[in-house]
Amino acid sequence: MKVLEVEGLTFSFQRGEEPILSDVSFSIKKGEIVGVLGQSGSGKSTLLRLISGLEIPWGGSISVAGKPVVNQRLFVQPEKRGIGMVFQDYALFPHMNVRDNILFGLNKMSRAERKNRLNEMLELVQMTDFAKRFPHELSGGQQQRIALARALAPKPEVLLMDEPFSNLDADLKASIRSELRSILKAAGMTCMMVTHDRKDVDAICDRSFSLSEDSAARKVHMQSL
Amino acid sequence: MKANLVRRYLQKELNGWWIISMVGAGIILLPILFVFFELFQAPNENWFQVRDYLLQTYLFNTVTLLLLTGLFTAILGVTLAWLTTAYQFPLRNFFRWGLMLPLAIPPYIAAYTYRTMFSYTGVVQTTLRYEFGVQVDPEVISVSSLRGAVFIFTLFLFPYVYLITKAFLENQSSSYIETARLLGRKPFDVFLKIVLPLSRPAVVGGVALVVFEVLSDYGVTSYFGIHTITTAIFQTWFGMYDVDTAMRLAAWLMVILVGMVVVERLLRQRQRYHLSSKSKPLTPMKLRGVKAVAALSYCALVFGLGFAIPLLQLLSWAGLTFEKVWDLSFFILLKQTISVAAVSSALIIILAVVVANISRSKNVFSYFLSKIITAGYSIPGAIIAIGVLAVFIELDGKLAPVYASLGWGEAPLILSMSLFMLIVGYTIRFMATGFNAIEVGFEKVGTKYLEAARMLGNGRTMAFFKVDLPLIKGALLSGFILTFVEITKELPLVLLLRPFNFETLATKAFQYAKDEMIHEAAIPSLMIIAISSLSVVLFYFIEKRVKQ
Ligand SMILES: Nc1ncnc2c1ncn2[C@@H]1O[C@H](COP(=O)(O)OP(=O)(O)OP(=O)(O)O)[C@@H](O)[C@H]1O
Ligand SMILES: [Mg+2]
Repeated sequence: MKVLEVEGLTFSFQRGEEPILSDVSFSIKKGEIVGVLGQSGSGKSTLLRLISGLEIPWGGSISVAGKPVVNQRLFVQPEKRGIGMVFQDYALFPHMNVRDNILFGLNKMSRAERKNRLNEMLELVQMTDFAKRFPHELSGGQQQRIALARALAPKPEVLLMDEPFSNLDADLKASIRSELRSILKAAGMTCMMVTHDRKDVDAICDRSFSLSEDSAARKVHMQSL
Repeated sequence: MKANLVRRYLQKELNGWWIISMVGAGIILLPILFVFFELFQAPNENWFQVRDYLLQTYLFNTVTLLLLTGLFTAILGVTLAWLTTAYQFPLRNFFRWGLMLPLAIPPYIAAYTYRTMFSYTGVVQTTLRYEFGVQVDPEVISVSSLRGAVFIFTLFLFPYVYLITKAFLENQSSSYIETARLLGRKPFDVFLKIVLPLSRPAVVGGVALVVFEVLSDYGVTSYFGIHTITTAIFQTWFGMYDVDTAMRLAAWLMVILVGMVVVERLLRQRQRYHLSSKSKPLTPMKLRGVKAVAALSYCALVFGLGFAIPLLQLLSWAGLTFEKVWDLSFFILLKQTISVAAVSSALIIILAVVVANISRSKNVFSYFLSKIITAGYSIPGAIIAIGVLAVFIELDGKLAPVYASLGWGEAPLILSMSLFMLIVGYTIRFMATGFNAIEVGFEKVGTKYLEAARMLGNGRTMAFFKVDLPLIKGALLSGFILTFVEITKELPLVLLLRPFNFETLATKAFQYAKDEMIHEAAIPSLMIIAISSLSVVLFYFIEKRVKQ
């Protein structure tokens, strides 16, 4: 089953400018971890913002779990799309501790469910002892794990990750890469991550494609791993 | 196709926030447009009188006041800003803050304080007479003149220039100034060749604020008997009950204003330097000997004239009248002032938050919306007042059938006799103060937390309350205090728009002064000064926070 389907997506920030993304199409099946490669400035973050509904495309359509979320006539607000996102700089709420950050997306659950889910998530990312800490009291790697737990907690249909390793030290990267893959697989999560580093993709993803800079039209080249 | 795209765009952006903002912008724009369209109406008899015999004098006085005050505040503001940032001398740290304090004394209070001090029975002439046996020509020493008004405005408004220029010099100029010093230039050269040209946008920005204050002034000029366009608006309104002519004068004042704004833009053109905000602060150089004494004396003179002397004089008068003024009616006055200022500030902050929040998604609409909503800061209180009054009278006319059906009599003036009118006036005039504070708050927070909250299943409004609001608390508070202070100090608007018999600290102080009960005016004036000092205290704490 296709969880995420993108068809002919075209976008530019200003009318009349050469599009940053033009005619991008791909789809992701349930449980897959797909990597999107591209150099800095090639439009990776923009692609994620379009899928999540933070920007509106000029053309093309996106469906999540079979339901259209944006096309020529329709726009579904980001909070209604069932998409989770780990931001490039994590965006952990600075005025809330780890616990409240993770609970933030669970407001529709009952009290008991929320508590269960919180503990489940803390265990998944192995941060049970840190529930009372504030984001600025955590290391980069720990912050990343909390951001991941927060995004996974509401059980989104798809998880989007923007350069999940860009803020980490080189030696930390290697260990966290394999850990991330096992967390995602354990959660059975469908995931799309963008990165400029092929090593990330090789370590984590089932397959990948690249947003290439060279072709003027910036067509997407599908590549199976 | 087009229609579909628009619909899709509205699905993304249209929401309660937009609707509230549009209504707010409408309320702000309507009175201003009312005044503007008066220019295209047929004038009445009276107007020709005013135009042929008086307008020239009004214009001359207004423009002279603006030019002289602008020039002198620029000189005072820039030199003091440079002195206190670039040099170390005794009491420098005290003056860095102390030199903002003149802003806490509204010019009309300073005007009657100084006039009385320089009068025949005032402290200056009596001291000269009895201590030194000197009789002075009252013409020479009188401050009730155009000259005196320039003196008052300069002393009590220069902190606008000082503040903006100081912030600029402290934070953004160090690399250029230090380079110039290392290249072997003398300090005075550095000032002329580097500091002055670089700080031009800041100075122009500060002088613009001064100019808007002077244009808006009614207290000083009417007290000194100087006829300006603003005093003429009051005269035609209250003296002749000729609202049409008053409105036409307001429209002319608006024309001057547009001229001023154009001049400001021209002066600033291509001069909006985008200096790196990360540049380190300027290290002050130590002054010694005569130079240190000279710097100290200059600062002390300005501080004394602009704050200490009038404050001491007011305190001594307050001592004389304490028994008489400090009673129950004074507390009622205080309560009225505080509640109307608090309600208006709260309204301003709420609207400012709504508009600033949607202005975070940058597009043409939000740009114009933020411009409209902040238009009032540059428009004199009298113009706003007259526009608001015209709109409210119109509204009362439209609502007459409703009033009649409620049994409130034939065509009564309900809205235009209510406090609501004053609150709307304040909101229009001081929206920008609140809006700017909150915009800065939002800019600091950025949009990433909002976006993260939305990705976690919260709508715009939920996300705002749960994430943005706690993060911009500080900005809300400082926005509230700043507008509260502005409203407490404000005079022309409240004089024109208050309901019959409604008094605030400002109107009471002004009334006492006009009735030559100067000593009685001291206590309400001191109260206003105390409240206004809050904003200086606020700046102090904000800077301390930032430094940590
Ligand atoms: N708000 C904006 N307005 C105009 N142009 C923008 C805006 N945001 C990004 N761009 C431009 O869009 C292009 C794609 O940006 P994007 O952030 O998607 O790149 P990226 O692939 O994520 O880069 P990086 O690896 O550096 O994060 C860039 O050329 C950028 O300059
Ligand atoms: Mg990016």
